[in-house]
Formats: sequence, C-alpha cells, structure tokens
Amino acid sequence: MRKTLLIVLAFGIGYGFGTVAFATDNYITGSVESRCLITTDTPGVYGNPLPQKLSTAVADGGVLPKVRVTVTLADAYKAKITTPVGFSSSPALSDSVAWTGATIVASTSDAGMSGYEAAKVVYDASTEFDLTVAGSTWFTSESAATYGYDKSFPGGNYTAVVTAECIAK
Amino acid sequence: MRYVLVGAWCSLLLCGMVNAHDMIPTYPKFTTTFVTGVLKTRMEIFNKREDVSYYELGAFDAEWNPIPFVTSYKLIKMDYLAHAEFDVYIKQEDKPRLEYICSKSKLMKDDVATSAIASRICSRVK
Repeated sequence: MRKTLLIVLAFGIGYGFGTVAFATDNYITGSVESRCLITTDTPGVYGNPLPQKLSTAVADGGVLPKVRVTVTLADAYKAKITTPVGFSSSPALSDSVAWTGATIVASTSDAGMSGYEAAKVVYDASTEFDLTVAGSTWFTSESAATYGYDKSFPGGNYTAVVTAECIAK
Repeated sequence: MRYVLVGAWCSLLLCGMVNAHDMIPTYPKFTTTFVTGVLKTRMEIFNKREDVSYYELGAFDAEWNPIPFVTSYKLIKMDYLAHAEFDVYIKQEDKPRLEYICSKSKLMKDDVATSAIASRICSRVK
C-alpha cells in the first residue's frame, strides 16, 4: 500500500514539474526572410545643355535619378539597373537618337559594400551588382540622348524610364 | 544644428520609406492543387510607391523566356500602401523550367515627368 502511494506520489510530482516547465517556457519564434526593397529616391530630370542633347548629368543641368536597393539577407539578390534606350514619350522625331548611360554606386550603408562598384558587370545599357552584403545601396544613373547629326530636338515633353531590378539568386 | 541634422535624416527616411516596391517570398514553394497536374504558390506585393497603381506579373525561365501561368489578374491594381496576395498557378510540366516570378511597376504616362524609375522584383523558384 505504501509502495503504491509512493509511486502515485512520484508520478504526481513528475507530472507537476513537467507542467510547471511547460507553463514557464513561452517560446517566441520568428524567422528572418530574405527580401528586397526597391526605393525610388529621385526620379531624375533631363537637362537640355545643347539643342541636340538631353542629359541627366548635373553639369548639363539635369538631375540624376537615384534608386535605393535594400536587401535583408546577404548574397540573396543581385541588382540590375538599366538606363533608357528610347523615349517612352516624345514629340515626333524624324532622325535617330544616340543613347549613352552609366550607373554607379552612389553610397552604401555598410563598409563591406565598397567592392560593389569594382565588381559591377556592364552589358548593353544594363549594369549588374552582386548584393553580397545585407543593407542599402544607392545607385545613380547618368543618361544622355543625342539627336541626329547636329539637329535640334523638336520642342515638347520628353520622358524616359530607368528600370531598377532586384533578382533573386 | 543637431536638430536640423536629425530633421533632415527623418525626412530622408520618411521620403524613402514611402516610395518602395516589395515582393515576397524570395524563394516561393509550389504546392499541389485539387486540379491534377497544376501547382500553385502564394505571393505578396507591397505597394509603397505613391506614383504607381499597377503591377504586372510575369513568369520566366532561366533565359527570361515567358512561361505560361495563371493568376486572377496579370495586371494588379494596387492603392498606395496597399498589400496584395495572389496565387500563381502553373502546369506541373512547366515547373522544371520555371526560374523567376516577377512583378514590375507600370508607370502611367501622365505620372512621368521627364525621367522615371520602373522597379521590378523577381523571386526565384529553386
């Protein structure tokens, strides 16, 4: 009888401790997911330094488009910035337009990103950056359009689009 | 001077916070559906771009060739600061070729001044 009582008591104590342990351990779980955020800081403006030229360069009276790409995990994304190769809207143009463009790293949120500029890959009008460090990177693109051979751009509104991409690796 | 700097930082951050495009998950996982041979995954887009109201969806292989897929709408209308969840359905036979699911901002002609920035985020199917 005494043995049975002890066994029941032991189970009771064990169960009690177990219950207490479950009651006090409240786990808060969470996970960090990789994600990319593209922020358009400055849309950019074309300056018209010469009758046949439109340029976003500051020296030409333009404003450089600036885009920020933020990644939460390192080495999960690459950024690709493509400068315009045509107007999305313009007055009727009777001659060809020559386009040039370049994208650079303007600033970074982490010193470890200092190698982005040297490691960038340029092809056609696109520039790719391997985002190997978590944080924000600001990119600026310079774009210029030259019309025909010493021809003046017709009067009117001209618009062009810079494409910023964040592609998972 | 300190307050001016803090104010400048705050305004910079606030301005930056409200003009962004975001899509998750980065690596979507497909599950089976009640239709044999059709797989689906759920994606989410956040529109923090005040100048964008529409996002176009696309599915591509490794060479950026389009792959057929089905969603409720391939062009999603989203209000500013809105968040949308959508299911992407593909054929099981296309799954090995599928590499990217992308969302791209669509700019309205009237909203573009002289130069604009289109944003595209691509998740990768591993």
